[in-house]
Amino acid sequence: MKHTIRQVFRSGKFVVGFSIFMGILLIVTFYPLIIRDAPLKIIGQGTFFAPGIYVNVYDSMGSPHYTILLDDAAAKRIADKLDDDDRQAIKEWLVAAGISEDAIEIENTESLLDLWVNNFDPTTRIPGMTNADRNYYIRLNTALDGLLSTEGAIVASVNPETGALEEKGVIRQTDYVNVNQVPNVRVLPLGTDNFGRDVLTELVQATAVSLRIGIVAGLIATFIGLVLGLVSGYIGGLVDDVIMFITNLFIVIPSFVLLILISFSIGQEQRGAFTIAVVIGFTSWVWTARAVRSQVISLRNRDHVNLSKLSGHSIAHIIAFDILPYIASYVVMALILQISSGILAEAGLSILGLGPRTTDVPTLGLMMNWAMIYQAHILGKWWAYFPVIIVIALIAFSMNLMNTGLDQVFNPALRD
Amino acid sequence: MGNAVLEVNELTTKYITRFGENIYAVDHVSLKVEEGKSLGIAGESGCGKSTLALSLMGYYFPPLYYTSGQIIIDGQNISGMDPDEVRKAILGKEIAYIPQSAMNALNPTQRIINFIEDVIEAHKPYATKKEIYDQAKSLFEVLGLPAEVLNKYPVELSGGMKQRTVIAISVILSPQILIADEPSSALDVTSQKMVIKMLRNLMDSGLIKSMIFITHELPLLYNVTDDIMVMYAGQIVEKAGAHEMVFTPIHPYSQGLMGSIMVPESGLRDKKLTAIPGVPPNLKNPPSGCRFAERCKYVMPECRVTSIPLRDAGGGRAYRCILPKEFLMEAYERERGER
Amino acid sequence: MKGYRNYFANKLIWFGITLVAAFVLNFFLPRLMPGNPVAAIVARLAQGMSNTAGVQAIYEQYAKLFGTDKTMLEQFFLYVRNVFRGDFGYSFSQYPRTVADVIRASIWWTIFLQFPAIIVGWVLGNTLGAMAAYRKGGFDKVLLPVSIFVSSLPAFGMAVILLVIFGVTLKWLPTSGGYGYDLIPNLSWSFIWSVIVHYQLPFWSIVLITIGGQAIGMRSMAIYELNADYVKYSRFMGIKDGKIVRYVFRNAMLPQVTGLALAVGTMVGGALVAEIIFSYPGLGSTILTAVLGQDYPLISATTLIVTIMVLIANFVIEIIYGFLDPRIKAAQAD
Repeated sequence: MKHTIRQVFRSGKFVVGFSIFMGILLIVTFYPLIIRDAPLKIIGQGTFFAPGIYVNVYDSMGSPHYTILLDDAAAKRIADKLDDDDRQAIKEWLVAAGISEDAIEIENTESLLDLWVNNFDPTTRIPGMTNADRNYYIRLNTALDGLLSTEGAIVASVNPETGALEEKGVIRQTDYVNVNQVPNVRVLPLGTDNFGRDVLTELVQATAVSLRIGIVAGLIATFIGLVLGLVSGYIGGLVDDVIMFITNLFIVIPSFVLLILISFSIGQEQRGAFTIAVVIGFTSWVWTARAVRSQVISLRNRDHVNLSKLSGHSIAHIIAFDILPYIASYVVMALILQISSGILAEAGLSILGLGPRTTDVPTLGLMMNWAMIYQAHILGKWWAYFPVIIVIALIAFSMNLMNTGLDQVFNPALRD
Repeated sequence: MGNAVLEVNELTTKYITRFGENIYAVDHVSLKVEEGKSLGIAGESGCGKSTLALSLMGYYFPPLYYTSGQIIIDGQNISGMDPDEVRKAILGKEIAYIPQSAMNALNPTQRIINFIEDVIEAHKPYATKKEIYDQAKSLFEVLGLPAEVLNKYPVELSGGMKQRTVIAISVILSPQILIADEPSSALDVTSQKMVIKMLRNLMDSGLIKSMIFITHELPLLYNVTDDIMVMYAGQIVEKAGAHEMVFTPIHPYSQGLMGSIMVPESGLRDKKLTAIPGVPPNLKNPPSGCRFAERCKYVMPECRVTSIPLRDAGGGRAYRCILPKEFLMEAYERERGER
Repeated sequence: MKGYRNYFANKLIWFGITLVAAFVLNFFLPRLMPGNPVAAIVARLAQGMSNTAGVQAIYEQYAKLFGTDKTMLEQFFLYVRNVFRGDFGYSFSQYPRTVADVIRASIWWTIFLQFPAIIVGWVLGNTLGAMAAYRKGGFDKVLLPVSIFVSSLPAFGMAVILLVIFGVTLKWLPTSGGYGYDLIPNLSWSFIWSVIVHYQLPFWSIVLITIGGQAIGMRSMAIYELNADYVKYSRFMGIKDGKIVRYVFRNAMLPQVTGLALAVGTMVGGALVAEIIFSYPGLGSTILTAVLGQDYPLISATTLIVTIMVLIANFVIEIIYGFLDPRIKAAQAD
């Protein structure tokens, strides 16, 4: 046993797969201990906030201000509002409004804005311009208002008695706050999802739940498959015929069809994560049963099994001591595959809208489902779906690697 | 002295593992097989005897590589030849091979005759299907195999029939020498006897000129071959005539092999269990001294210092040990007497 | 020829049995669930419906369709008879279309998308796997982990990645639908071109997923065969490497063919989900609409159709296999 384990850990593929998997497990275990937020809590008012550090604006007004003089600050400020496409658009408008092309210097911000402020008139009709374009120019005009100003902004609050505005302070363009001194800063490494929930926290819990679903489904499937395979292979005869008949039926009838039918029949209210796991487990045992059966048949007439039979051991004893140890490696490999296919099955079901009910826990499939329904992929909100795909792929990849590694250890023909 | 059909001088070949380590599984082996003679090679599994069989073919593919030495067949040195030349002119025509488990030696999805066609076409591209069929049929008749076998798939043949079919295919191009690597180990006793008889027939009828027979079962060699070589850890540790080897082994390892198997009078089965304790050394880092030292009951400190050469023991015998042959032979006699 | 006939008859009987089993499961599974299915469905449908007369009408319609007043066995035969007539009742989410109409509109999209994609993926995957096994070295070292990773991606994941790269970022190909939304299906060039363009992303995402799994399988099989005794023996009988490689790949391919027969169900399942990502107008999207619309008759019919498609594919592969593997004939003739 010790020797086998040592051999398994000498396989590079197994070790890489095992490390990835343990890494995921560690993150899933320790992240919730450090970040104690409720994973499904809606924090963002709005959909798909991009990943980043969110600094509370109100608090940063109250935090100590430092004056830092940076040469490129103004340029950056302008570039943020006025990028190359905008400059091009301004030029097009001006040309269409009858300004000579030579007079427009697209790179000279000052002269460009000058021309713009002097000439732009929202009521001017430019032939061939769509409504959307008109609105764009109006928005641009508002954004550019005061862009070149070097004045600061005045912060004021409403006096509760008089209702008048009272100046509280001035924020100059050279004022900075230290993020560490702002009391409310929220880091959203993966932004928020369509409901305004922290994607990372949600993802970690979804991974945990999906792993649990995979493990429950895998254990159930492996257990059923193992028992049926053992019984069918060892006892043989009519029992074998019946079990193999059923197994062969379920091999050709696609299991996801059964999954869809059963999940739909159970109904949204009853579909918890655990129920889904059980359903997946009950529809995916066929491969294990077949593999175990053929292993058992090849073992059944080996010398040591015959010896055990002659010594009058019971069937249970023979199966436990003379057969199980020899197929243990296959069973472990089957379990690993079942876990990863269980996770995939849950994801597929959830995308079809047949996943666990959505109120209590997230799963990887549900996150994917939400992202797809809210068109995150079309809108370019990569953080809502890409990490999910990566996590699913990493889990399946680590399990497949472990399996390939085990396969090479236990089937020396594949080794070189 | 007949003329040598096969002469091998200091042949060394190695395996290269996927970690890039060299394993010299055949280490400076020399041997000679004369016309009409047969040679047996014995040793435990893992001693390099099967690798020697592969190496003798002069046709190497990964992970086995040629390192040094000569293989001379019928006066022609094949160890320096272009591999494709070896394939066309030597394999099957001059030297033929019967693999360890003939059970799986035939392509399962091909009829026997189609495989024979492929074999013959590889050497004589212009033979017609009719000629090939006739040739195969007459050979099968000579060897007492039914001609229907030709049109069957390997799955349709019994184990013994498959083995005999493989032997027949091996000799279809009338090779000078046949190398049989444990051709009978997977068969039942009756089939084993038929195979041995068939091999003897091949020699007697002149279909092949000589034979090398590799096995871990020494009693088989005594009945089949003229000479016996014992291999251990890639080296030859003793060579002698079959009779001498069986009754007066010199090297402690040969003695161990004989002692563990060849005691018919006191019940073969019990004795089989008293194998030599220990396992052969790991050839990744072979011991610098005698390779058998770890398991030898006569081991002395100087055994572990330098490698031991093969010593001439007179009468065409040789052995690889620093102790005098008289001492070893007496010790063996004494031990047998005690049993 | 007798051997093939036996084999064929055997497979045909088996096909018939699985078909019956598929029918039985499709009929009974939803009905085995606790509670009255009609009541449950109506309850779900009636959520947010204030019109009691409407709810009542729906209830009666369902009750009639399911024949809940009859015994289970009568219901089953009614169901089988209706199915054989192509009558699956009305779709409730797309009323007044019949279920048969909805399926007729989507089934060909799925068939023409999935089966070519699976076959192309199978062929490419096996070629790559065979090359990896034969060439070994760097090619194998790169191909194996890449294949394992690609085959670890769920079909929908691959679909999303391709969609984002080629559809959203590079804008080379359209992101959704089976043809341009501004077109009406006809035989014009612009329509056909639109179909071809819309076909690419779903097609290649299924192909890529299939390649990964098949390459791994073929590689193992080919390595196993390359180490087989007959390879060594054939080499020592002087047969050319090229010919031996042909033996090996033919023999390694055979289990891959049976493997395809057994895996085609799973592959179709993954591909159906991939269709959803691209809003491809096939059965996958139909299932999604049916689920979202709580459209029970549509779900039941779609799953039955998918099962039958998979069974037929399976049967065809088994028959082809019978011709490829001479051992079948030998084994069945005894």
